[in-house]
Amino acid sequence: MLELITETLRNLFKKSATYKFPLEDRPASPDYRGKQVVDIQKCIGCRLCAFDCPAYAIEMVPNPSGKPKEYPVVDFGKCVFCYQCVRVCPVNAYVTSGTYRLAAFDKEKLINDVLKTSVSDSSEEGG
Amino acid sequence: MSNSEYLEIPIGPQHPALHEPLLFRVKVEGERIVQITPSTGYNHRGIEKLCENNTFLKDVFLAGRVCGICNVVHTTCYSEGVEKVGNIEVPSRAKYLRTLLNELERIHSHMLALAVLGELIGFHTLFMLMMRDRELVLALKEMVAGNRVQADYVMPGGVRRDLTPEKLDRVKKSLDRIEERMKYYAKIFEKDSIVNSRLRRVGVLEKAEVSTYGFVGPIARGSGVKTDVRYEDPYAAYGEIPFSVITRDEGDSWARTMVRVGETFEAINMVRYVADHLPEGPFGPKTMIRKVQAGEAISRVEAQRGQLIYYIVSKGGDKPYRLKIRTPSFNNILSSGVLFKDANIADLPAILASLDPCISCMERMLIIEKDGHVESKSVYDLVR
Repeated sequence: MLELITETLRNLFKKSATYKFPLEDRPASPDYRGKQVVDIQKCIGCRLCAFDCPAYAIEMVPNPSGKPKEYPVVDFGKCVFCYQCVRVCPVNAYVTSGTYRLAAFDKEKLINDVLKTSVSDSSEEGG
Repeated sequence: MSNSEYLEIPIGPQHPALHEPLLFRVKVEGERIVQITPSTGYNHRGIEKLCENNTFLKDVFLAGRVCGICNVVHTTCYSEGVEKVGNIEVPSRAKYLRTLLNELERIHSHMLALAVLGELIGFHTLFMLMMRDRELVLALKEMVAGNRVQADYVMPGGVRRDLTPEKLDRVKKSLDRIEERMKYYAKIFEKDSIVNSRLRRVGVLEKAEVSTYGFVGPIARGSGVKTDVRYEDPYAAYGEIPFSVITRDEGDSWARTMVRVGETFEAINMVRYVADHLPEGPFGPKTMIRKVQAGEAISRVEAQRGQLIYYIVSKGGDKPYRLKIRTPSFNNILSSGVLFKDANIADLPAILASLDPCISCMERMLIIEKDGHVESKSVYDLVR
């Protein structure tokens, strides 16, 4: 019993173990699997990521500029962040990040179309 | 007194002590429990059927989502099964890395189980302190696999990420801190008067009853039965790593708790051994394994809660024909009526937490179709 009391007293003078979350971000580890965004300059439209996605979250849509013919649109409402798309990509077109604050008020906002939203836009929203 | 004259109290299905959906129908006479019937089915998702409709590669992620806290053992068991069916060779570095992550998961799962047990016997300080220190293990898991809980690390033919020597150093450094903290908690579980008065001689399971009802894992070991798949039928790199199987003879809730405490120390030592003896070489297959030759296999691993079995049938091609999952909690909880008999109703949370149930592992549905006649069976027909 005495040991527990000394442990509790010692904790009074220690740094807090929790984060004040919305005010203070928990830093993600560099190895963390966060939001992944496709780099359309590198993408060759091979469909491998859409084929292998276990959550069926990736849809290939036609590209108006024609190069590549099709590009992947990731629905983060469905994505399970397994990074299978990142692994199978033959040209490493996916840019990975540690972004984990993806909540949005609108379901449509979770669909990440790289031609319509820039990377910086989508990582700011939500929370 | 006939059976209908007992008072029946429903405990659950919303959070019966633990934060998972499970219903206990408890028949009591005063404060004494006469009969208890666990009733599952609130969490059924049809994963086995879903696995048949998805490819072998996608099923790795489905297997990991059977249960959050045991996702690494599920993917390990699935991958070992697929490797057995397809005669796929696994590099030894991958085997060691699998063992490393399996044991890290065992540490954090046991720490959670012990912390929740502390909370349920009214020892909130212990819960808070243990959950704080569990973060150290979760941080290690995040570094090795990429996520705190949902690792998605093991896949047929190897693992999905490699470990650098710097990361191994961080693992070893963190383990020293975890071991120091666990020694402190081990002392509390052994000596503290609250823990001892709530857990000793509560929910006693005799050694003979273990084999009668088919209990597995720490529950069997807490009653003095030396059973551990890692020891009996080594998989991954367990055949090359020295460790001892922890058993206790008391058979009560306290003995099961102390088995978990002991196993945590064993797991820490095993991770250390892996970090020191990690062989060089490739960590995964050269190409993704998409098609598996026809055949069938049973693979079994020691999950944190006991023996986990996967039965995989392939008819060739990229999808399994049948995938059957047998989880340890299924046996342990549905047969647990014998433990609760004659216990005080206030001891129910303490006994339940000492079993460390995983509710989402336990969901089953059985429909038999014979001559056009459809019959659905109760889960109790599946228990031994």
